[in-house]
Amino acid sequence: MQCDGSELAFRDNGMKNFARRALFTIGAFVSLAVLSFLGIDALPGDGCTALLGRFGTEAKIAECRVEHQLNDPVIVRLGSWASDVVQGDLGYSIKRDEQVAQIILPRIRNTAMLALVAAIMAFPTAIAAGLLIGRFPRSRIGKAINTMGVVAMTLPEFVIATVLWLVFSIWIPIFPGVTVVPSNATFMELLPHIWMPALTLASVVFAHSMRTMKAGVTTIQAMPFVESARLRGTKERVTLLRHILPAALPPVVNTIAVDAAWLLTGTFVTEAIFNYRGLGRLTIDAISDRDTAVILPIVLFSLGAYLTMSLIADTVVRLLDPRLRQHRS
Amino acid sequence: MNISPQHRSTRIQIFVYCVLGFHAVVALIAPFLPLMPTDKQDSGAMLQGFSSAHWLGTDALGRDVLSRTLHGGRPSLAIAILATALSAVIGIALGSLAALAGGWVDEALSRLIDFLLALPTLILLLLIASFFGHDPFILIVTLGFMYAAPIARVARASTQVLLARDFVRVARLQGGRGVNILLGEVLPNVWRVVFTEIAMQFTWIILAFSSLSFLGLGASPPTPEWGLMIAEARSYMTINPTAVIAPIVMLASLVLAVQALVDRE
Repeated sequence: MQCDGSELAFRDNGMKNFARRALFTIGAFVSLAVLSFLGIDALPGDGCTALLGRFGTEAKIAECRVEHQLNDPVIVRLGSWASDVVQGDLGYSIKRDEQVAQIILPRIRNTAMLALVAAIMAFPTAIAAGLLIGRFPRSRIGKAINTMGVVAMTLPEFVIATVLWLVFSIWIPIFPGVTVVPSNATFMELLPHIWMPALTLASVVFAHSMRTMKAGVTTIQAMPFVESARLRGTKERVTLLRHILPAALPPVVNTIAVDAAWLLTGTFVTEAIFNYRGLGRLTIDAISDRDTAVILPIVLFSLGAYLTMSLIADTVVRLLDPRLRQHRS
Repeated sequence: MNISPQHRSTRIQIFVYCVLGFHAVVALIAPFLPLMPTDKQDSGAMLQGFSSAHWLGTDALGRDVLSRTLHGGRPSLAIAILATALSAVIGIALGSLAALAGGWVDEALSRLIDFLLALPTLILLLLIASFFGHDPFILIVTLGFMYAAPIARVARASTQVLLARDFVRVARLQGGRGVNILLGEVLPNVWRVVFTEIAMQFTWIILAFSSLSFLGLGASPPTPEWGLMIAEARSYMTINPTAVIAPIVMLASLVLAVQALVDRE
């Protein structure tokens, strides 16, 4: 397909698309946030029952509810919660007697660090492996890596974590098995304890992008422009890196985005196993305490992470793939 | 001897079917095998290794690991089969109706599917398991709804493709009713694609349930369940590793076999 629009027209169109997509993301986030509030509100139990537990008498719970204005109609509470959130106040956990922001932000930081290390381990290697396995499908090493990746992708994290732990902490003690650092430790204090959970997470997500990459390379290799590059005598390395790689990359960006969102929000099991004080452990603790004041912002964070990542992915794909820049309106 | 790729893939397939058959048979006949009771504690024989009395040793409470491992797939399999069946029914119904109806119905159902896909699955499962207890019925319904969305998406896409095909158009021109066309012409043809997706969801549901059990929110303690067994035995892994390795091997072989069945590229 030929593109005949001027540079200016393309930019204009691109911005408009982006704006529309961003607006949709915000709308989806707001409506999902309201739904989450209502859903969590509908669960049996609130901050007061969480605080007083089974031992709270009816009278005490009622008193606590009056104190924290939990008896207001749901619309009123939704309104005041929404206005608080807009002003940056995430609320207050009656159970933990602490501002939710103070509980949740250090945990988000820890999980983000874990996610970053896992992402650095997984994604570049996955792209490289996918490119090479797609290019040399008969290679034995490639086949072995492919199989191992698929096995790691299929197995539950607690199995991978347990096996890694058995191997690298007990049989060959390289890494500490259980993390015992406070949730506000500095990055350098945390780093020695990050490797094992990061390795677990990296092996879970590795195969997704590797396989997407491999499938892309297999398809693109058969295309005429690759053959023409080869017939022109382009060096194999250049064909691979300049012709095949950019063309195979867009779908991988989407896979990476979904996995990155998962690394930020789906690490409950891994964090629980390694006793890593991130968002995942906090989620499990908050859920078993039924501390709805903490659960709600976590749900919002995970919705936000998915929506943002998919927005970023769409934008990057649009930038990477010239065909999408114009023929969408 | 040179083994052709086709030969090899058939052999792998036979192996995969054997593994699946083994799991099915074990899950069905485990209660009738001459095994020790899964909850019989023996305080004199805790964390033992291999012996003629306990082939795979015992766990921290002196319970027989072999017996618990062979019983351990039953809860996950039962819940996963029922939940997958439910999600298949919901998914196929949603997806094919959306494609068949078109227009605003399609639009509305597609948004519903998107919504289900956007749900943070594990948080929701943890919430429901925590607030409504270990009730298997609630768990099955929740899993069934949450894992229906990907099936619905595939069913919708493949129905749409088929609806444009000549034999379906002929059936329509002959005056067939929507439901009959769906059941008679479309579903038999989309079944294969949709089945792959259903099998995928089956592994995800098994993984979700065993993860829940691992976190202490799925099967409740005296029940032998692989995820729960791994969680319990992990603390004593250095003393009796088989108590961890046996359930890992069973769980891994089951999900890998289903995955291999789905994944014949």
